[in-house]
Order: sequence, then C-alpha cells, then structure tokens
Amino acid sequence: MDEEPERAKRWEGGYERTWEVLKEDESGSLKATVEDILFQAKRKRVFESHGQVRLGMMRHLFVIIDSSRSMEDHDLKPNRLTSTLKLMEYFVEEYFDQNPISQIGIITTKNKRAEKLTDLAGNPKKHTAALKKAVDSTCVGEPSLYNSLNLAMQTLKHMPAHTSKEILVVFSSLTTCDPANIYELIKALNGLKIRVSVIGLSAEVRVCTILTRETGGSYNVILDESHFKELLMLHVKPPPASSSSECSLIRMGFPQHVIASMSDQDAKPSFSMSHLDSAGEPELTLGGYYCPQCRAKYTELPVECKVCGLTLVSAPHLARSFHHLFPLEAFQETPLESYEGERFCEACQGELKDKSVFTCLACKKVFCVECDLFIHDTLHCCPSCMQTDRTS
Amino acid sequence: MIPKLCYFLKLLVFIILNNLILKLKLNIDGLLVYFPYDYIYPEQYSYMLELKRTLDAKGHGVLEMPSGTGKTISLLSLIVAYQKAYPLEVTKLVYCSRTVPEIEKVVEELRKLMDYYTKQTEAKNDFLALALSSRKNLCIHPEILHANIVVYSYHYLLDPKIADLVSKELAKKSVVVFDEAHNIDNVCIDSMSVNITRRTLDRCQTNVETLQNTISRIKETDAAKLREEYSRLVEGLKEANVARETDMYLSNPVLPDEILQEAVPGSIRTAEHFVGFMKRFLEYLKARLRIHHVVQESAPQFLKDIYEKVCIDRKPLRFCAERLRSLLRTLEIADIADFSAITLISHFATLVSTYSKGFTIIIEPFEDRTPTIANPVLHFSCMDPSIAIKPVFGRFQSVIITSGTLSPLDIYPRILDFRPVTVASFTMTLARTCLCPLIVGRGNDQVAMTSKFETREDFAVIRNYGNLLLEMSAIVPDGIVAFFTSYIYMENIVASWYEQGILENIQRNKLIFIETQDAAETSMALEKYQEACENGRGAILLSVARGKVSEGIDFVHHYGRAVIMFGVPYVYTQSRILKARLEYLRDQFQIRENDFLTFDAMRHAAQCVGRAIRGKTDYGLMIFADKRYARADKRGKLPRWIQEHLTDGSLNLTIDETVQLGKHFLRQMAQPFRQEDQLGLSLLTLEQLQSEDMLQKIAQIAQQA
Repeated sequence: MDEEPERAKRWEGGYERTWEVLKEDESGSLKATVEDILFQAKRKRVFESHGQVRLGMMRHLFVIIDSSRSMEDHDLKPNRLTSTLKLMEYFVEEYFDQNPISQIGIITTKNKRAEKLTDLAGNPKKHTAALKKAVDSTCVGEPSLYNSLNLAMQTLKHMPAHTSKEILVVFSSLTTCDPANIYELIKALNGLKIRVSVIGLSAEVRVCTILTRETGGSYNVILDESHFKELLMLHVKPPPASSSSECSLIRMGFPQHVIASMSDQDAKPSFSMSHLDSAGEPELTLGGYYCPQCRAKYTELPVECKVCGLTLVSAPHLARSFHHLFPLEAFQETPLESYEGERFCEACQGELKDKSVFTCLACKKVFCVECDLFIHDTLHCCPSCMQTDRTS
Repeated sequence: MIPKLCYFLKLLVFIILNNLILKLKLNIDGLLVYFPYDYIYPEQYSYMLELKRTLDAKGHGVLEMPSGTGKTISLLSLIVAYQKAYPLEVTKLVYCSRTVPEIEKVVEELRKLMDYYTKQTEAKNDFLALALSSRKNLCIHPEILHANIVVYSYHYLLDPKIADLVSKELAKKSVVVFDEAHNIDNVCIDSMSVNITRRTLDRCQTNVETLQNTISRIKETDAAKLREEYSRLVEGLKEANVARETDMYLSNPVLPDEILQEAVPGSIRTAEHFVGFMKRFLEYLKARLRIHHVVQESAPQFLKDIYEKVCIDRKPLRFCAERLRSLLRTLEIADIADFSAITLISHFATLVSTYSKGFTIIIEPFEDRTPTIANPVLHFSCMDPSIAIKPVFGRFQSVIITSGTLSPLDIYPRILDFRPVTVASFTMTLARTCLCPLIVGRGNDQVAMTSKFETREDFAVIRNYGNLLLEMSAIVPDGIVAFFTSYIYMENIVASWYEQGILENIQRNKLIFIETQDAAETSMALEKYQEACENGRGAILLSVARGKVSEGIDFVHHYGRAVIMFGVPYVYTQSRILKARLEYLRDQFQIRENDFLTFDAMRHAAQCVGRAIRGKTDYGLMIFADKRYARADKRGKLPRWIQEHLTDGSLNLTIDETVQLGKHFLRQMAQPFRQEDQLGLSLLTLEQLQSEDMLQKIAQIAQQA
C-alpha cells in the first residue's frame, strides 16, 4: 500500500508554478529574469548581524534524532531517516567548522527508549562514522521525548556554567511515550539553562511548542528537504549567550605537531591516547600532538586530554571561533548604475558585472557578489581592511 | 509631603498611560461606535453595518458569522452605541445565549466595553447590565425593569413557564438577540412539549393529595381566604387582560388571549371542585397510559375522547394552568418545585385544549429499543416552533438571530414564521487559509464510504472508516475529534474495529477516548483527552453528533487539529415524533421532508466540524467522511465560510489523497504566524479601515441571502 501510491503523489503536493515568476522583458527575452532569480538565490543567505551580542562560543550540543516508526515515511527521499542522517553529517561538519572548540553528542530514541549514539566529543570523525552506521538501523516503536531529554540533561548538567548548553531535537513522530510528567522536566531544563530547539518533520506538536518556548529555543517545522537543510543550518551559528551565564578563564593547551625525523634513532612509533577507548584498530604513528602539561600524545585536535583534562586546541581553530564573536559587518549593497568608481572588484580584480556592488563600511572598498559571499562565509574579515591595518 | 507627591505623580502617569492605549472609535453609517479593541476584523465592521440597518428598520434579522470572529463584541458595542444615540428608539438590549459559560463570556466582553466607555466619556456610567445565569436567581423583578442590558438564557424568554415570571414586563422597544441560535427551533419545540410518564402521574397524585389536605386545613382556619379567591375568580382574569391590552406584558402562549376575557368556569371555581377536577383528569390520563400498542391522535381527538369517557369539557381544561397558579398562591405554598408534576399536567391540559393545530399526542407503551419493558409515555409534542417564539417576534421591535452556522439562511424565517428585514452571511477574512475542509468519498480500495443505511454495516465501509482514522492519527498532531451519527452506530463500529485490530494500531499513535451518554463519564474522558493533547501523547475523542460534545465544547488549537465527521448525521427518522413533525412542516410550511432532514443534518455536521476552528490564529482539518457530502444539495447547505474553501479538488477524495493534502496543510500551518501578518488583511487599524479599497472589500464580505 505504501510504495505504489507514494510514487504517484508528485502532482498532489500542490503545483509549483515556477513559470509565473518568469516575465519577459521588452525585447521578449527571459534572460534578465532568469539572471535575476539566480542572483537572488545567491544572496539568499541572510546576514543576521548580532551586533555586539555575546555569543556562546563554547557550545555543548546534544542532537536527539527520532528513530521511531514514523521515520520510515517516504515523504523525504528515500525516507525520513536516511535523509535526516545525511543532513546530520553535513550539519556536524559545518558545526565543527564554525564552532571548533565546541562539542556535540548524538542521541537516538525509539521503542520508548533513548540511547546515546555518541557521547559529547569535539571531533567530527567519530560522529560522522556513527551517523553513517545508523542508516541501516531499523525504525520501530514510539519515541520518548522525556527519556531522551533526560539522558541529554544528565550529561549537560555537569558542564561548566560558561558553556552554552543546547539540545536540538529532530522530531518526526507526533506522539511521545513518556514515563513521567514532561512539564516537570521542562522546568528542570529551564533551571539548568539548557536551551532546547526542535525541528519537526511533520506538524506542530503542542508539547514541543511549550518546550521550546520555556527553554528559549526555536521551533520550526519543515516544508521539504531544502527547507529542512535551511533550518538545520540555522543551528550552526552560535546562539547569543544568556546574560546570566558566567564568565571564566579556561586553561587551554596549544600543542605543536611534532614529527620525529626518521633519521632519529630514538624515535619509536607510539599509540595515540585517543585510541584507548575506540574500538577501531590502534595505529602506531611516529608524530603527533603532545599535551604541554602531561606529554600524552594525540593524533587529532581538538581534544580533551584524557590524562590531565586539559583542552587541547590549535591556534587557527580558536582564531576561527573568534570570528563569530566579532562577525564582519554586512557590506552595503548599492545598484551598479548608481555606483561611480572603478569597475573592478577589490578582491578578485574581476570586472563588476552583477547588478549590485558591495561596499565595505570600514575601508569603502568595493566587492562583487561572489567575493562578498566568500568574505562573509569563509574569511570572516575584509581583505582590504587587513591590508591597511598592516601597512599603518 | 513627598510620598503624597509621588503618589500624585504615579496617578498622573497612570492616567496618561491609560489614555495612550489605542482603542477604536468607529463611524458606522453615521453612528459613533466605541469598540474596546485596538484592531477590528473587516467582517466585524460589515456585521455592524448590517446590524445597524436592521435596527434602523425596526425589523428582525438573521445574521451568520463564523465563530471566533468576535460576534459578541460587535453586537454589544453596536447596540449599546445605538441605545446611547437614540435612547427613545431602543430602551433595552436582551441578549439570550445558550449555556452558562457563554453567558459569562458575554458579560466579560460587556465589562470591557463599559470600562472603555467610562474611560472615554469620563462620565459616570449610567448603564445597568444584568446577567441571569441560574434559575436560583429569579427574584430580580424590579431591577430587570431598569436594566439597560439583560443577559440570560433562551429559556427565560421562550419557555412559557419561566418567561411569565421573568420576561413579561420587558419593554416593547427592546432589541432581542439570540446568539448561537442554530438550534432555536428545537429549543422552542422543547419548551412547548410535555412528556408524561407513569412517574409523573404518581407524583402528581401526591401533589393532589397534599393540595387537598392543605385546603381542608385552611378551610378550618381561614375560610375567608378561599372565599376571597372565589370571588376574584368570578371577576375573571380581567387584571391580566388589562395589563396585556395596555401593552405592558409579553403574551404567554400558555395563557391565550380569549380566556382572559372570560370568567373562570364555575366547575373549577372552588378549590375543592378544582382538586376533584384534577383528580378526574389524572385518573383519565392513567387509564390512557394503560395501553399495549402505540396511539397517535390530534388534540381535538383527545378532547373528544376525554369528554366521552369522563365528561371533562374543553373549557375548564383551558383554565387549568391559571387556576392552579391562583390556588397555589392562595394556599401560600412556598416551595413550588415540589408541585412541578401537577404544574406540568395543568400546562398540558391548557395547551391541549387551546391549540387544535401544531401539536400531536403520541402514547407509546414501551421504548422502541426495549420492547419487553413496559414504560408508557405520553408525548404531547409541539411540531411548530413558531408557537413558542411568536410572542417574542410580535412584541419586540427587533429580534436578531445569529450564529456561526445558520445555513441555509432562508429556512429559519420559514420555520419560525417571521419576516426578517436583513438576512446575511459573513465570511471570515483570513491572512492564511486556516481551515481545510476535505470530503473523503472512497477508501484506497475505491469502495464508497458512506453511512447510508443500506451499506453502513458493510465490512468494507467500516474498515475504510477505520483506515481513515488510523491514517489521520499518524499525521495529525495532538487532538483529533471524530463524530459519529449515533451512539449505536459508534458502538458497532468501534466493536468491529476492535475485532479487526484497527484500534490497536490507532492506539500506537494516539490514545482513544469515548463520549458516552453518562455526563460524568464524558467529562472525565474530556479531561483526560485534554491532558493527553497537552503532554504530547496525542488523543482521539470519539463522540456523537447532537451529543454534549458536539454542541457545547470547544476544541481550540491543539485540542482539535482535525475533526472527522463519519457519515451524515441525519436524525433518527423512525421516531414517531419526528415523522409527525415532518408531516406538519410539509402541510403547513411547504418544506419537503427531505429538505428539512438534510438541513438538519448539515447544520449539525457544520456544528461538529466548526468545533475545531475557534479563531483566526487557530487551524484545523475538517474531514467529511461520506461521499454524499460531495453532492450539491448537501454541500450547498454548509455555511458559506466553509463552502468558500471547498474547492473541486477536495471533493470525493480517497484516503491516500486526504493524507497527502492533510500533511501539506499541517506543515504549512506550522510555519511561524504573527499578528503582523494579519494586519491590513484580516485585522485592521482605524486608518486601514477608512481606506477606500478596504471599504469596497468589506462590502463583499456580507452576502445577502
């Protein structure tokens, strides 16, 4: 009953009247509007300028993935579970890209139970591997919002007060099977300042509305797969920190990568400390990062030292986080016609052809749309400002 | 000194702040209307325009506007403004609502309006409003005369037994509003009908004996009193007649005009004779209840029979109600409630001898469902709702009948026998389409889904109904309310679903609660249902159209995200009372049986599905699960605000198609929706209201029938 009608449902999801957007210009050509649409799509990324808002830079995020029966629904292709896990992989990557000193953990819930897929950790590899493996798991029973939130809370409540504690629930089912009153739990979460956000895959559920409202999170319901992705990406950016969160100094180690030269006779290959608990084959390596406090060896950063508990990061990681604290201000958009000046982009030196140009408010230099996106999304600093800084 | 100054400053700030609160002063067709909210819906404005027109014409009106669009406040603010502007034209507003919570809501809105008035005009409020909520607070006679606004239940005006006590002194220049009036004809009929069982007769017997004892006691102690009464009765009921002719009283259908001009007949003038008379009448009724087959007869037939059997004439019978009241007054009996049985019988006597048309007498020896248990009942059944409401239309200059579901509008004037000056239906202006009516006609196996009598017990139909509920339970969040056509049908279906294992599957998605005929059980089920909706488990409430849930309980927001109407809720057509009524409608009002039945079924269906949408921020699916809804004669009888959203694409769907459409709708509705989105479209500020375009748009909202 499921497979056959599903394939036939394409036309029933409402017509996408794509042709209505297109309009001919005076010469009867569609080119201008097509270009316009493409341009709009490029600019679609919204610049949410936080201004001078404190952001929670050290984030501890638990993602709860509903793996109940309803995840087998085919309205996302090939089914909700596969689609969600794939997007989650992308999310984890993006997350660590933008929040390098943050941690993430994954919880799944099915059959009225909740279990940890991965514990809180700062390394994307483990999570991605676990997500890849989870694709084959079966979806059965009902989810339990209470159990999974409780499980996440048990870990998060021990986290230091200066970190931003968050839970993101991807909720597909419309029911939850709870062993106790969930409103008590919501109160507890609120007391621990844990922010819970929910992305619903099917419809608006009352308890989620309350849950997110009480804990200060956001609640969205997806329309389709691309909307799903968009909503997930909203959670990549660090949220503004609550004013009551503490400030404290954190000890961090910046280990140098050391490779013992092959010529050195004393050099012995050794195991990395992170292999202690991983099930995978331990590898012997020559080089690695050595904890400046206890000399324990690790092959990857960032990591929390297993021996002395020091947070080990690399300087570039931290620098990238820094950008989120002081995001680059959005450039001013002016139409090309009204722009008077040299018609080349400051960054790529290419000719300005698009219908708008972008001016940095600090150095008044002009950029094209491609460079504007690159600067804001990847570089996080204006190249010409940097240049003037250095020269002055 | 300083604290005083502080206090003064505080007060000043308070006053300034209060004046800053923006509320609306509207100009409705030349009338200044104070509206105690910052924004107004376009349809409210349109509604007020029509209402003003009705009042200007001093006529009656039938107005349909969906619930949740602020009917009550529109009515109140316009009529109050009208009263203030033309104090001689309209002296009083009588606002009738159905239930106590509804009355409370009206009072709440009224309070807001009055606060706003006092703040704006800074004059002492000289308006007196009065709300009567329960029968216990009946002793308010003098006050009601002076109140400008009276809020109470229908029964105070329609039920002759109560109306005589409470409402007969209402001024002629009053405006009467019947809110939630879609069932007004049934209320009228119920208020005039009398059911007599053996128990009633037994209690009446006791009453008669008590009366007899009291009379003989009083005779010994205070015989003068009885003599005085006797001489008063010789004079006749002139007093009442004078009052009515000078137009002070609302006429009472139980006290017809003719008998006021006559003296009480000699045969029942003395107290003992009257009691003896009642005894005889009682014995006659007892004999009539001793039957083994159903008897149906008209009032004249009954009178002829009673004359032949026990020699009771028509004339004394007609005076029964009045005579009894006089006697009870003379005997100074405080607790009238004890004498309800004999009062009922006396009313019956008066009615049966007064009206030769519009009533029928049906005596049934047993209930249809339990033919072995003898339980004789005499139904004295009113078939013409206009009898009860006639005095109201006749007396008051404007009577407004309004509800969320009054379609088709033209039928109400016909069955209530009056001529309205305005008949209009208003739609809901929406910033987003928040209702989604769907007509499901087939299962996935293409078997037609219908509760038609011939096929309703069909295995395939029941299974498809089950599948529909199962599929919906998987895609609709929180609460679903499902309505069946009757308790018996619900029991059968649920039993069958249990056997087929459908119930078990449904319970994986949601809990199931069932409405029963027991009020306590039902309110328990309702409470648990709401709890399950609240905490995310989700629930389904199975209930019955025409039941308590379908009429009085609102399922706002998450308490009702979908309503499923299984079948067309036709009334039980085998009932003799109904048959008699249909016949009467056909003969007297030229309304075909089928037209009336369909009208009645559709108004109940509309009531049921309307439970889920209680405002513009609310949203919900409305699923009509019967292929017969797709027919034009059914569809056309739904309220306009539902019809408007019924596109050709949502008729005769299969279950799968319904699921797809439902999913899409629910996702759309879950997107963020703020008040700003509504502003300018379905929510207006004063400036927006005054713009030319908007006024044109508003003109289209009202549709004259």
